[in-house]
Amino acid sequence: MNEKNGITVKDKKSWFRRNGPVLSTTGPISVWMLVFVLIPMLYIIFISFMTRDVYGGIVYDFTLDNYKEIIQPLYLKVIWKSLKLAFITTVICLLLGYPLAYYIAGKPSKTAAKLIMLVMIPYWTNSLVRLYSVNLLGATNGPINNILMDIGLISEPLDMLYSDGIVVIGLLTAMLPFSVLPLYASIEKLDKSLLEASRDLGARPHITFLKVTIPLTMPGIVGCVLLVFIPSLGMYYVPEALGGGKVMLIGSLVRNQFLVTKNWPFGASLAILLVLMTLAMVWIYTRVSKMDDLEVF
Amino acid sequence: MSRLKKLAAIFLALTMVFSFSFALTGCGEEEEGSGVLNIYMWSDYMSDDFVAGFEEETGVKVNISYMNSSEEATAKLTAGGGDEYDLVMPCDADMTGLIEGGYLEEINLDNITNFEYLDDAYKNREFDPENKYAIPYLMNYVYVVYNPETCPVEITGYEDLLSPELEGEIASVDGIRNLFPMALVALGYDPNSTKDSEIEEAYEWLKDYMKNVKYLNSDDAEKELISSGCSVGFIFDGMFTRVLPEDDTWEVAALEDPIQLGVDEFVIPAGAKNKENAEAFLNYMLDPENMAANMKDGHEYTCPNSAAVELMPDSYKKSKAFDLPGDLRENYFLQLDVGDAMKTYDKYYTMLKSE
Amino acid sequence: MAAKIKKRRKRLKIGGTLFAFLVYAFIYTPIAVMVVFSFNDQRINYYWKGFTFKWYEKLFTDSDLLSYLWLSLFIAVLATVISVIIGTIGALGLMRFEFMLKKVVNTSLYIPVVIPEVVMGLSLLMLYESVNMPLGVTAILLAHVTFCIPFVVIIMRGRLAGMDKSVEEASMDLGANRLTTFFKITLPMLIPGIMSSAFMSFTLSIDDVIISNFVSGPTSTTLPVKILSMVKVGLTPDINALATIMVMVLLLGIILNSVFQALMKKRASINIKTYF
Repeated sequence: MNEKNGITVKDKKSWFRRNGPVLSTTGPISVWMLVFVLIPMLYIIFISFMTRDVYGGIVYDFTLDNYKEIIQPLYLKVIWKSLKLAFITTVICLLLGYPLAYYIAGKPSKTAAKLIMLVMIPYWTNSLVRLYSVNLLGATNGPINNILMDIGLISEPLDMLYSDGIVVIGLLTAMLPFSVLPLYASIEKLDKSLLEASRDLGARPHITFLKVTIPLTMPGIVGCVLLVFIPSLGMYYVPEALGGGKVMLIGSLVRNQFLVTKNWPFGASLAILLVLMTLAMVWIYTRVSKMDDLEVF
Repeated sequence: MSRLKKLAAIFLALTMVFSFSFALTGCGEEEEGSGVLNIYMWSDYMSDDFVAGFEEETGVKVNISYMNSSEEATAKLTAGGGDEYDLVMPCDADMTGLIEGGYLEEINLDNITNFEYLDDAYKNREFDPENKYAIPYLMNYVYVVYNPETCPVEITGYEDLLSPELEGEIASVDGIRNLFPMALVALGYDPNSTKDSEIEEAYEWLKDYMKNVKYLNSDDAEKELISSGCSVGFIFDGMFTRVLPEDDTWEVAALEDPIQLGVDEFVIPAGAKNKENAEAFLNYMLDPENMAANMKDGHEYTCPNSAAVELMPDSYKKSKAFDLPGDLRENYFLQLDVGDAMKTYDKYYTMLKSE
Repeated sequence: MAAKIKKRRKRLKIGGTLFAFLVYAFIYTPIAVMVVFSFNDQRINYYWKGFTFKWYEKLFTDSDLLSYLWLSLFIAVLATVISVIIGTIGALGLMRFEFMLKKVVNTSLYIPVVIPEVVMGLSLLMLYESVNMPLGVTAILLAHVTFCIPFVVIIMRGRLAGMDKSVEEASMDLGANRLTTFFKITLPMLIPGIMSSAFMSFTLSIDDVIISNFVSGPTSTTLPVKILSMVKVGLTPDINALATIMVMVLLLGIILNSVFQALMKKRASINIKTYF
């Protein structure tokens, strides 16, 4: 893209001087990704075409059956449900995270840093402990029920746990900081003079927000969606503990294939499908939101 | 610039402080050698004093690291990580795959003179007829418990768990190989069935069961019993030992159906670097006095070593969790490898959970 | 007119503060429960039974939890430093330059974010085993850096996107070399992004359990791995106590820092420019 800095400068400079900047900036990350992501990934792709043997090992027999197996209403249903919950979580994260990030970005940098810290601190404790706390809070004899019963609002304890709603709340408590951080990084650099210009030109506040603020902070929104939607799609600990064990999401399904059923080839093909599906969504999403700068492909 | 420098300085300082503290305490990776024994097992499943006793007796340093499930330990072995450990604790259901896959080292029974104390029922088992691969540590039953004050029905078999009166009243362990065997037994089939038609029937049975289940979790199903959210539990005996101190009205149901027994085995993974130490440890563990001391120190579970049980106080022997009604103790079945049928089980299990 | 706008702005400001307060309340509710139950007189937290300090006592006298915490912190700090450096520089390079494998690298950056953790843990474990690398602290660190880098890049790209390049170009036109331009111009503009990605990496690393679980060795149990394994026998309140202390220390740090800065400002009215 920015050809002037890179490859097309073909003067008398030595090879290294020409390629130095490219190598020194993109070299480490490329090597790291190749070794620790691409090679393992190629192996996963490879075993997704293999077969499970009787005792749960891998037989090196090429087959497409694992992929055919996925195209069943059963597994599509699991995928659909996972997408739905992840989508709801992402939307709520945006609705909560954007105003908060905006609020924080409006503060002087020192205060902002502290406010960001305040968002993050709870997440440096353990996620399982937090999960169990949500569980304790909503238990039949937990604080909420006890208080409600003490003040006489209810006579029987409420069943608050084990529903899709509480799963979303669990996902939210796990994911919220991941929406605030990218949003903050992007809103913070927002040029306030543009907003003032818009206002001076007579635009109403909500028009300014929609036409100026949102487009300018789009990279942050994209980042937030990526960092919240994708991980909540694959999470299984939260849905299992808060869903009462009756919700099967794609994360649990993949885990089961690798650990319980010991059908690694099928698990691998599910994982590959999940990767392809999400990459496709990210691609469409970045095109639609005109964020080609983010360069997914 | 100054901010940057400050940031960099903070990072650098932190890194250095940590590196130093680690160099000092030697918390990093320790050298492999003769004097070490690396165990990979459940957390809080063995007394510290018991381990210290072994260290004192032999001079071997024991490192214990913790697994989250037997399946995970098995996966770690199959992925090739076994040679890092000297003893690993999978459950009996995973044994066939591990043995057939060649992931285990043969145990030399000559080094384990205390093997005789192990109850005969746990010697020469189907998956290991010559006792070459696995030595049981402790075990667990999966049985039905109920609260006599709140449970609306009498439970004498798994079939009773389908009673409409129990809607939303059951807290249950999860897992393919805990749920399906129960259904198969209730239907009069082999709990380790490999027939598609029987598995499908079991799925239909479990669909009804799920209507009555409020909470399904193999880690903490007992919390719903303690919070009196449920009046019936289909749980491990280890979970029941956690219920009783909170509320001792609970009873084990006198089932006529057989109950499931799971055994936590110690195996030596292929390529283990300290095999002799592992065998010495197994020998130490099988000594009835050592095992009894281990259990007395807050690790009360069902034990395959009757001589050790003899040494236990009545509070253990008469505990509702272990002193089971009728002949339930002997009327058990084990989880066996079901081969390719596992795929069928998995499909129906997924169906069960995506209703 | 102006008065109306002023009034409206004030309303917006109050609304904003209130909203922020509510979101913080949402985030801190589980923490409050966690703190309360660290004083619970019950072997495993099932319900509130009575008040006790014994879990704090146990934490400092008879517990391995602290040593697991140190290991987790050690790994998290190192993983943060490494992944922020590689990720930031990499994000810049990927944005500015074209090269052969660029598309491959760009796509592979998304894989650790997308792929189920179990699959990543197992595939890394197999990678380590195939080169006979011992499992342990190094193995965990490498794995953590691997899944942190993509998050750093995603955040840094959000920061870099649409950033004014003319300043850098001006600096180079004025004769500064690339390195000087990077340190004097580019890097300072990236600070908020770096801060965000460092927070993110640290958070991901200190709390990672599934991947660490697969690549940890016999002597490298991290705190989350230990806690996950305890789930089976029940989480004891000393874990709540440990988490409570962590939160309290950090909160206290922030408060002391604020007070200190306010005092300094009052006394010498020097504005210390710092991000902490």
